[in-house]
Amino acid sequence: MIKISHVNKEYVLDADNIFHALTDINVEIKDKEFVSIIGQSGSGKSTLMHIIGLLDRPTTGKVTVNDQDVSKLNDDEISLLRNDFVGFIFQQFNLINKLTVIENVMLPSIYSRKKLTFDPQQKAFELLKRFGLETKIKSYPNKLSGGQQQRVAIARALIMSPKLILADEPTGNLDSKSGEIVLSLIRDLNHKEKITVIIVTHDMNVAKQASRIIRIKDGKIEK
Amino acid sequence: MNYFIFIITSAYVDLMRNKARTFLTTLGIVIGVASVVLLQAFGLGLKAYIKGQFDSLGTNLVFILPGNMFRAGGSGFGAGSMGSAISFDEKDLNSLKRASDAEIIVPSTMKSSKIEALGKSEYATIYGTSEEIFPTRNLEIDKGTFFLKSDINKRTKVAVMGPKIAEKLFGQAEFAVDQKISIDKITFKVVGVLKSKGGGGFGGPDFDSYVYIPYKTAFLVNNKKSFSSFVIKAISSERITDLKNETDKILLKRYKEEDFSVAESKEILNTVESIFSMLNMVLVAIGGVSLVVGGIGIMNIMYVSVTERIREIGIRRAMGALEKDILLQFLSESVLLSLLGGVLGLLLSFLIVLILRIFFPAYIDLSSMLMAIFVSSAIGVGFGVFPARSAAKLLPIEAIRYE
Repeated sequence: MIKISHVNKEYVLDADNIFHALTDINVEIKDKEFVSIIGQSGSGKSTLMHIIGLLDRPTTGKVTVNDQDVSKLNDDEISLLRNDFVGFIFQQFNLINKLTVIENVMLPSIYSRKKLTFDPQQKAFELLKRFGLETKIKSYPNKLSGGQQQRVAIARALIMSPKLILADEPTGNLDSKSGEIVLSLIRDLNHKEKITVIIVTHDMNVAKQASRIIRIKDGKIEK
Repeated sequence: MNYFIFIITSAYVDLMRNKARTFLTTLGIVIGVASVVLLQAFGLGLKAYIKGQFDSLGTNLVFILPGNMFRAGGSGFGAGSMGSAISFDEKDLNSLKRASDAEIIVPSTMKSSKIEALGKSEYATIYGTSEEIFPTRNLEIDKGTFFLKSDINKRTKVAVMGPKIAEKLFGQAEFAVDQKISIDKITFKVVGVLKSKGGGGFGGPDFDSYVYIPYKTAFLVNNKKSFSSFVIKAISSERITDLKNETDKILLKRYKEEDFSVAESKEILNTVESIFSMLNMVLVAIGGVSLVVGGIGIMNIMYVSVTERIREIGIRRAMGALEKDILLQFLSESVLLSLLGGVLGLLLSFLIVLILRIFFPAYIDLSSMLMAIFVSSAIGVGFGVFPARSAAKLLPIEAIRYE
C-alpha cells in the first residue's frame, strides 16, 4: 500500500552544516498491516511518520501510495489524498479548542472535495457514541480529560473512513489506564476493522502490540 | 455543514472570541467610513441647499455680473477677476432695456449698512433695486405694500424689509410697517414686510434679512451711482439664448469681454456646483486616508491572529485543508471585520446626519451607502489578503509542530 524507496531527508542548518534526519530509508507497509516504528527521540521516527502521512516530502527518494508516485502530486492533490487516505492520532491530541467535540470530529469532512456518502454529523455522533463520549459532543476539548481528548482525536481520524491510521506516541500524554484504553481502541481498528495502522513510539510495550516492529536509529532503519 | 456557512460562522466565532480586540480594530474602519459618508452627506446637502436657493430666485432669468467667472465656456473658478471688476451704471440699464427679448430688467446695488430703529441697531444688506425685483424673485408681501415704480424717480425714502430683520428691530414683523428706520443716518419709512423665503445661516445669502429700497434712493445712501448686477427676465424660456447674445452684444460696446458675465441661473449653479464637488472630493479623499489607516489596523491584527493560530492552521492542513481553504478562512475574517466596521460606520453617520439635519439639510444617498459597504469589503480583502496568504503558505508540518 505504501512504499518508501531510498528516502533521504536533510535539513540545511547553515551553509556547511546539513542534518541528515533520514538516510536511505526503504520500507513497505502492506494493506491491513499493524506496524510500529520504534526509536529514541531524535532518531527520525517522527520525520518518517510525517513522510508516510504525506505531511512532509522527502529530500530525495520515492514515496508511492497505492502505486501512485506522491512526489508528482501538487500541494492540493496531496492535501486531498491526506484528507481521504490518512487519519492522524497525535501525542498532543491536536484538537481545536474553540470547536466543540463534534465539530472537531467533523472537521476533515468539511475539507473533503468528494461527494460524501454519509452524513458527517450523524457519523461523528456514532463514532463519539462508540467511544463513550455521546454526552460530550457539545463540550470543548479543553474541558475533557486527556484520555477523552485522545478518543475524540481517534473519532476524528476515522470520520473519512481512511485506509491508514497513523498514531504518533498516542499514549505519550496519558496515564497508564487511559493509555491502555486508547491502545486497545487502536488495536481494534486493525484487528476488527482491518484498517492499516502505524504506531510511532519510543515505548517497547506500545510497540509490541503491532505485528511488525521497525526499529530506527540515527535516521537509519536497523536490520 | 455547508462549506461557506462553516467558513463564515467560524470567522464570526473567531472574531467574537476576542470582542475588545475586534471592536478596537473595527473602530478604525468605523471612523473612516463615517467620516467619508458624513463628508459626502454634507456635500450633498450643500448642493441641494444651493440648488434650492437658485430655484427660489425665479425662472427664465439671465444674470449680468461683473467679472468673467460665470462666462459660458470660460475659465470658471480661479481665473475670474471679481476683485478688479467693473460696476454698471444707469447708462447700461437704459441700453439693456433695448434688448427685445427682455421682459423685465432688475438692477441692483448692494451695501451692508447699519440700520437703527427704536433705539436698536442691526447690520443688514441694503438692496437698492427697482419694484420689479418682487415679482422676478417671487417675493411676496406679508404686511403693508411693495414700494412703487414712482418711488424710484421721486427718490422716496421708503423701504421693504425681510421678515427676519423686521423682527429683530421691531419684535414682530407686523409692527415694522409705517415705522421709521434710519439707514446710514438717513431716515426711511417702512412700507412693507415680506414673507419668509428661508435660507441663510450657512454662508448662503440670507434673503429674509435684506432691506429693499428704490435704487435711485440707494444712490443717495451710497454716494455712488452704480449697480453691482442686473437680473433680466426673458419673455419666454425659448428666448433665453437670444437674450444672452443680445445683452452680450450691447455690453461689449462699452466693456471688454473679460469684464462681465452674462449667465443663466443654471450656468451659475453649474459653476458653483463644480466648485463644491471639487471641494467635496478633496474632503472625501482626506476622509479616505483614515480608511487606509483603518485597513492597516486590520492587517496588523490579522498578522497577529495568524501567528497565534499557526498550530490550528497546521491541524487543519493535516486534516486535509487546502491552501485556499486557509486563505478563505482568514480572508473571510478580515472582510467580516471591516464589513462590520463599514456597517457600524454607516449607522454612526446616519445618527449624526439625523442630528445634523436640525441645522442643515445633509442627507445620505444610496450610492454613499453602497460605497461604504463596497469600500469596507474591499479594504477587508485588500488588507487581509497578505496575512491570509502568509497563513495559507505555512508548511503543514512546521505549523503543526509550532509551540
